[in-house]
Amino acid sequence: MSVDTEVLSPDLRHLEIHWEGSLGEAYRAHRHRWPPKLALAAALVETGVGLHGLGRTVPSPVDLLLGDLCLARASRLLANEAGRVVQIAFARAIELAASAPTSGADLPMIRELLGRALEGAV
Amino acid sequence: MITRRITLSTGQGTGLIDLTSRLDEEVAAAGLRRGRLHLHSLHTTLGLILDRMEPVLLDDLIRFNGEASNGHHADGGRGRLLLRPGITALVEDGRLLLGRRQAILAVELDGPRSRELALQLEGEFSAAPTDRELELVELELRRQLLCDPDPMRLPMARLVEAGGKRLRPMVVVLASRLGPAHDPLRAAVLGAAVELIHDATMVHDDYVDEAATRRGRPAVAVAEGPARAIEVGDYYFARATRMIAELGDDEVTRTIAGALETICLSQIDEVALRGSYPGDHATYLQVVRGKTAALIAAACEAGARLGGGGIELAARVARYGELLGIAFQMVDDLLDYSDASGKPIGTDIRQRTLSLPLIYAYEDERAGPLLRRLFAGELDEEAVVRVQELVRQCGALERVAAEARSLIASALEELSGLDPDRGGAALAEIAKRAVDRVS
Repeated sequence: MSVDTEVLSPDLRHLEIHWEGSLGEAYRAHRHRWPPKLALAAALVETGVGLHGLGRTVPSPVDLLLGDLCLARASRLLANEAGRVVQIAFARAIELAASAPTSGADLPMIRELLGRALEGAV
Repeated sequence: MITRRITLSTGQGTGLIDLTSRLDEEVAAAGLRRGRLHLHSLHTTLGLILDRMEPVLLDDLIRFNGEASNGHHADGGRGRLLLRPGITALVEDGRLLLGRRQAILAVELDGPRSRELALQLEGEFSAAPTDRELELVELELRRQLLCDPDPMRLPMARLVEAGGKRLRPMVVVLASRLGPAHDPLRAAVLGAAVELIHDATMVHDDYVDEAATRRGRPAVAVAEGPARAIEVGDYYFARATRMIAELGDDEVTRTIAGALETICLSQIDEVALRGSYPGDHATYLQVVRGKTAALIAAACEAGARLGGGGIELAARVARYGELLGIAFQMVDDLLDYSDASGKPIGTDIRQRTLSLPLIYAYEDERAGPLLRRLFAGELDEEAVVRVQELVRQCGALERVAAEARSLIASALEELSGLDPDRGGAALAEIAKRAVDRVS
């Protein structure tokens, strides 16, 4: 993991504290199947959605900004590392997660959605 | 004929709001070359006059209106008898035809309120391709919103329909036109996506800043609650990135994605810097480059790329966009000290928002210590008025205005040699208008 951390370090700026928690955990879950940058993009989306508390709680302003940063950074990683199909599938996953609380639907399993999106990458 | 609605928030009691620059923007956006502008108040206690914006006029009005000591007059007072609800102005050469000191003023008799004005523009409209292409952006925005679930769509539709300057989509379209492979439909999609990103960012910003209104209407977090505001912001952030990905241009996707991260980082920096308020010039530029200029620069660069422009063109318009964005923010800061924007003045002071006039005023030998003392305590309304006076008196506003003009001059240099008929002239006009807002 330390090698990965070294590789990813610039992409963890401002998110170091979450790397010790939910971000690191999500990364490890995706990393066993996908290359580091794509696994990090998926982990960032999961963490961003989590920080925004979609369907659960209203986040603090700081958590909202950090969640925004997670989503934006994932977007930049995907722009550099993934094809159009994956970029679109990730965006759809976030649209689903954001609209689920008001649509009455169950909150989608974001990790599963992102995993399926990444399958389009290979 | 074009029909629109203009919204504005007014201050306490009786007041004057200068609408001239805003109406000029409407005339320009509509492409009206020669004709008439009709403006009509939809309220009994808000009138319209053509006059000079000066304090003595307001004093006379307050005296005549017999305003109560608390600044409130339930029925608008005697002023209602004198005021007319509508006004007509002539338009020539694409601008309002007004005397040097004349201004179109809204007269509020019973503020603070959220007000709506009906606007009609009639006459000869420019048939420039750009106008039609900006209409395509509006259509694309409406098309995207039509398919969405109501809880997401309605708050965003209200924000989109409330207007806004559409500065970012405009520069996308114009920069794209400068390239050899410009496609109006694809440029409209990119322009609409960039506007949605801007709007989604504002929805989240308003929650962070606890802002009550946006574009003269209640902020989404106020109208729908914070949870919904966060969902709506996330949804349209994702929608916009999907629209851009679907365009299938890697450089465009990378440019916008890079800007998104820069915006987020600057917002985090801005919150972190609140402890050292008001900051210094370097800090201000660092935040403004991210907060305002990054998306405008990226919109220019991505537009040029989408239109098939080369690296050199994309870099030039990106530099233009960054300079324009910084100048634009400086002018916004200045508007916090003037009625011209239609927004309540002093908002930046109350919310302790990073603002260049205040940074310069802090540097002033006389005003600086007084301001430090005022900001050390709670800022009541009296303190806000005193801060405004000190900033006005020390020449900080003139210094910021000069700096904004200098940035715009540099931005215009970046456009030299670009085809005026393919977007160069219109980009230059946007830059000039950005500083016209305070001149």
